[in-house]
Amino acid sequence: MNKSFLASRNFRDGSSAAGLPALIFLAVLFVMPIAILFMQSFEGGNFEHYAKAIFDDLYRGVLINTLLIAAYVAAICLVLGYPVAYFLANAPPFWATAGLIFLLVPFWTSILVRTYGWMVILGRNGTVNRLLLDMGLIETPLQLINNVTGVLIGMVHVLLPYMVFPLFAVMKRMDSNLLAAAEGLGASRWEVFRRVYFPLTLPGVLAGVTLVFVLSIGFYITPALLGGGKVTMSALLIERQVSQFLNWGFASALSVVLLVVTLLVHLALKLVLKGNMQWS
Amino acid sequence: MTQTYVPRETAVVGNMQASVPAAASIGADSQNLTVQGVVRQFGSTRALDRIDLTVQVGELLTILGPSGSGKTTLLKIIAGFEYPDDGVVLLGDKDITSVPPAKRDIGMVFQNYALFPHMTVAENIAFPLQMRKVSKSECRDRVQNALNVIDMAGYGDRLPKQLSGGQQQRVALARAVVFRPKLLLLDEPFGALDRKLREQMQLEVCRLQRRLELTAIFVTHDQEEALVMSDRIAVMEAGKIAQIGTPESVYRRPVNRFVAGFIGESNLFEAQMLDGNRATIAGGISVRLPVSQVPADRNIGVLLRPELAKRLGPDDRADTTLTGKVQEIIFLGESVKYRVRLDEGMEVIVRWPCHAMEAGLQPNDRITIGWNQDDVHVIDWN
Repeated sequence: MNKSFLASRNFRDGSSAAGLPALIFLAVLFVMPIAILFMQSFEGGNFEHYAKAIFDDLYRGVLINTLLIAAYVAAICLVLGYPVAYFLANAPPFWATAGLIFLLVPFWTSILVRTYGWMVILGRNGTVNRLLLDMGLIETPLQLINNVTGVLIGMVHVLLPYMVFPLFAVMKRMDSNLLAAAEGLGASRWEVFRRVYFPLTLPGVLAGVTLVFVLSIGFYITPALLGGGKVTMSALLIERQVSQFLNWGFASALSVVLLVVTLLVHLALKLVLKGNMQWS
Repeated sequence: MTQTYVPRETAVVGNMQASVPAAASIGADSQNLTVQGVVRQFGSTRALDRIDLTVQVGELLTILGPSGSGKTTLLKIIAGFEYPDDGVVLLGDKDITSVPPAKRDIGMVFQNYALFPHMTVAENIAFPLQMRKVSKSECRDRVQNALNVIDMAGYGDRLPKQLSGGQQQRVALARAVVFRPKLLLLDEPFGALDRKLREQMQLEVCRLQRRLELTAIFVTHDQEEALVMSDRIAVMEAGKIAQIGTPESVYRRPVNRFVAGFIGESNLFEAQMLDGNRATIAGGISVRLPVSQVPADRNIGVLLRPELAKRLGPDDRADTTLTGKVQEIIFLGESVKYRVRLDEGMEVIVRWPCHAMEAGLQPNDRITIGWNQDDVHVIDWN
């Protein structure tokens, strides 16, 4: 691929000069930091940091925990986002626009603000608990923040649009003739969905899941605030290594491991996509 | 059950005889279709205005009309994708007016084929069988059978996108008939094919339809296609059926100006009745009408088909004679078309087989043309 890029006419005839600033920008601010990170992780010239990051129960536990939380978030986003995307793609224009606005306004709001918002709503004395207590549905306040539940709620809220948009895109492109054809051939509503509609939205499902999962793996603010120190995800761990222990080398190794795992997951999902969707 | 419709004899040739036994397992449950007084209203416009129609078992009926004439709406109502505001649809003896499409047992071939892109050819064809809970082994046999019938035995594992347009078309057809539908609907299925392939597919569809004795309704705006394929044609105009009949009768004896203009090329003139069987058209030209068609006093017009015109020499006579000047000569291959401006000011088109070229007509030459009494057709001018 690189070869064909270099050999391409565009590259040689100078018309790509316009892209040069961007290339320099990327080289200085993206490639170089990653190279430095990579080098730092081998501090001392051995794999000591990596051995600790991968084989130490504590750090491996955090990594697994991170992946699990990311998987939960992706799954919840899919279950919640699929019907939302379906509604947006099929509702009459007014309602579709209204729905999109409801989805976009939080999307444009700072994560920090939204996370504090959730702390107010979900806290011991928060709106939800007050309401449930007043209605007599519970006797003691529910623990909704400073645990995994809180982290999941906050992360799902932030990441839901990333699931909805790819789904919305494939649903909007759906050829309604295919659904009519399935129905005409004798399929019930459920069969039309199961055999035709859902399989045809799979590219959107995988795109959304990949996006949400990958973004979840590196999440920092939400687990930091809503986890209340009880939920440790990789990004938190890395930050602590830097700010509290000044252990740049180990932090770098943790970062590289996280980066590699993220890339592997991304690749794996891509392979699934390729195997399952030769038709698209 | 009504008796089986006996299709007109056409030049259906080829290898269809070879695999007739295979056909026994697909498409043999045809029923006749009756549409009675169907009305469909969209806001203030009537898309369908009291449509009555019967299609016999084994018959291929074409619904022909320009876009906006209501033909697609009618097809959707028959398929069940839309419901009429009034009237009934009967399939066999059963009233299916409000039956959902999934329960109608009607096979349909869509304009863009609507093959499921994520399923292989075999899975596409098996789909309607699986929906009917046909056992796995029977399903496999019938799919294989259908693939043989459409001459695509080795293609079961391909995806639709790996097929050519003509092949996709055939798969769509196989999928629509594999479950022995009571009726087959074809919604402009040849639009995306090039001319050669289209003609080939038209014949193939006709063959399959006759061989399986399918009741079929074919929707198109292409009059040529309609003439080639149909047992009968229903010409639609603004939500009504203007005329229904065999291709020949619709072409040779159109009832009104719309049908005459829509099917084939035509010279159409409003006419006033004179005495007996004569009428005058613009410019005072007198036209002799066929005796059988002398109308009661009403608004009439005459249709002069271009290919029925005769070129007249100085001593020749015809029942209706026109003189004028050749404006334009259009070479069409098998025939030549002449645009002639008459001395009275109107324009007519005449068309003759190619060897007429040898007469050496040039633009601006004067020419006398005539139509025999029986080659003139009287139409309703309203």
